[in-house]
Amino acid sequence: MPVSRRVTGMVALVALLAGHPVHAETPSSRSGAAGLMNDLWTLVSDVSSRVGLQDRPSRPHPQAIPRGGPSIDLNDLSRPTVVEDRISSALQPGGNLRLTIPGGTAHRGDYSVGSAESLTGHLLVVDGNADVYGNLRGNLVTVRGDVVVHPGGVVSGDILTLGGQVRDLGGEIGGEVRTLQSAALSPAARAESEQLTPVQSVLRRLAGVLGVFLTLSVLGFGLVMFGRQNLEVVSDTVSHSFGRAFVTGLLGQILLLPTFGMLVVGLILSVAGILLLPFAIAVFALLVVVGVVGGYLAVAHAMGETYTRRRMALGVVIGSPNSYRYLLVGLMALASLWAAWALFGWVPVAGSIVWGAAFFLSWLLGTAGFGAALLSRAGIKENFSGRLFPPEALTDEYLWATPQFGVPAGRRPPTRTPSRGL
Amino acid sequence: MSVRAAVTFGLCLWAGAAQAQTMRPFSTFRQLHGETRLTARVEYGAGTLRIEPGAPGELYRMNLSYDQDRFIPVSDFNASSRTAVLGLRAAGEGGVRVVSSNQLRQLATIAISPRADLTLDLSLGAVDADVELGGLRISDLELKTGASRATVRFSRPNGMRCRHAAFSAGAAEVSILGLGNSRCDEIEFEGGMGTVLLDFSGNWTSSAHVEVKMAVGEITLRLPRRVGVRLAMDKFLSSFEPAGLIRRGDAFVSSNYGRAERRLDLDLTTAMGEVNVEWVE
Repeated sequence: MPVSRRVTGMVALVALLAGHPVHAETPSSRSGAAGLMNDLWTLVSDVSSRVGLQDRPSRPHPQAIPRGGPSIDLNDLSRPTVVEDRISSALQPGGNLRLTIPGGTAHRGDYSVGSAESLTGHLLVVDGNADVYGNLRGNLVTVRGDVVVHPGGVVSGDILTLGGQVRDLGGEIGGEVRTLQSAALSPAARAESEQLTPVQSVLRRLAGVLGVFLTLSVLGFGLVMFGRQNLEVVSDTVSHSFGRAFVTGLLGQILLLPTFGMLVVGLILSVAGILLLPFAIAVFALLVVVGVVGGYLAVAHAMGETYTRRRMALGVVIGSPNSYRYLLVGLMALASLWAAWALFGWVPVAGSIVWGAAFFLSWLLGTAGFGAALLSRAGIKENFSGRLFPPEALTDEYLWATPQFGVPAGRRPPTRTPSRGL
Repeated sequence: MSVRAAVTFGLCLWAGAAQAQTMRPFSTFRQLHGETRLTARVEYGAGTLRIEPGAPGELYRMNLSYDQDRFIPVSDFNASSRTAVLGLRAAGEGGVRVVSSNQLRQLATIAISPRADLTLDLSLGAVDADVELGGLRISDLELKTGASRATVRFSRPNGMRCRHAAFSAGAAEVSILGLGNSRCDEIEFEGGMGTVLLDFSGNWTSSAHVEVKMAVGEITLRLPRRVGVRLAMDKFLSSFEPAGLIRRGDAFVSSNYGRAERRLDLDLTTAMGEVNVEWVE
């Protein structure tokens, strides 16, 4: 017999065998094709639900849960999360499970209401499916199990499944059906929940610190290239007026939001200014970022310059003591704070302390840098940079050594007159 | 463009946690047991919302995926008043957090029976909403929305005559399409700031009176040529190009207003912005 014939024969045999019970259960009132389709669907659903049962982990042996434990009220299922919390706390592992369902019963494992059965009261089924063929007058709740309402089955109340599904195969459900699945973590949460080993976390943090260091280095080099004069003035302001710069930076941080609010309100009140609002917001944000990042880079520059000059004073020969070197050295010093955290951040208490110290110092220096940027008007004014001498400070020796007129004086850079106040 | 940015900014401010957002699926439905009336209240704080006509055998169905750290699903039905409350409520943790847009992953799909006469009340927060009301039987409609991007469509004629439809929007980008299919006698729209499209195309079976109030923003009125249109406008610093409308007294009218079988009377109040008129067949 050819293979195709054998297969066809087997299919026909299976169809005959399957067809017999289907016809046996078919109500006579149904029309032929529609009834057959309906019964086939019922059969497929029933089989698939049982196949699903086999796939599940082992079910407990069906048994009634004795009364006497914590009470779970199933009267109101409109707040499923509340019901879930109540049941979860009652189903704590350990010991014999006992539950009290006011006006109802509780069962563990699969449970079914037979077609000739009429059950009055709420029903809780834990770790099992609830198959309803008959009549249930009350609410039905399943935990880690499905509810299957078969044709002819009636549930007059609400249904709630916690971690299961409701399959309505043609029964009648008088109330509301609610299905609350277990939580699914979003990719971000899943990534966070991944446990990292100390080595992995150290490498990850070091990579982060290195990334920030490289970013700031690139920004700093760009600043040196295109705004060297301004950077040096802000840097000198940090060096010579650190306290004043810090206080100014602190005040600047406090006044940042009120200033922004006043700007927005002012523009809104001046009707024409409302059109400028998006631009004003963008410019304000840009200025703040430039002030903070530029100030921080100026602090790095100041630190690097101080360190390099001290080494040179000690007789160390340094190839090219310029702003690029100052900035790089300063940024390395600042990054070393966070590198310490990257290395020891995983240590239970010390890690938090190192993080706190790194954060505090970074904030302190950032505030001073921001204040210096404000004081020097982004490096335009040199009032606090220690570069200017008041006329009364000029000694006779200085005046004698420094030509005020003639050719040498013409080559000197133009002096800037200090202005009073800010 | 700035309105779009404001809406996006508002959506970002409102919703979801930046870290460890745990999404949880929840679904609910109710079989139809001969109910002829339904009052459906939808409360939805943040995320994406779709509303559509449901299966004939169900009174309503809601499938949602929500952030269980910040919201609680709501599904309640009062059998005596035939009132269903569906959606999400804040879990009580207030405050403002700035999140990236990919954190706004809450998604709800609500399907409502096309067989029951419906009073629909939608309260939306920072929501991206797509509401399809075509084919339902709406008798009264109210939509309140905050910083939303909402599209309301009547793709098919309303199954019954609608008494009143009211829309109010804060900083929103709202499009209401096919208002001719809504079969509403009275339509109100009140907007704070944003971009609004009111499309009056559709199958007009009766005349309608529409009142539009808008503080700041752009309104586009898409008007059908076969309907007689009368537009009374009260504007302060707004621009208006009465394309295809003729000035008659204090109002603008279409050339067929006097002889049209169906009429659309529009009262429009706007403070600042732009009013555009487009014509459709």
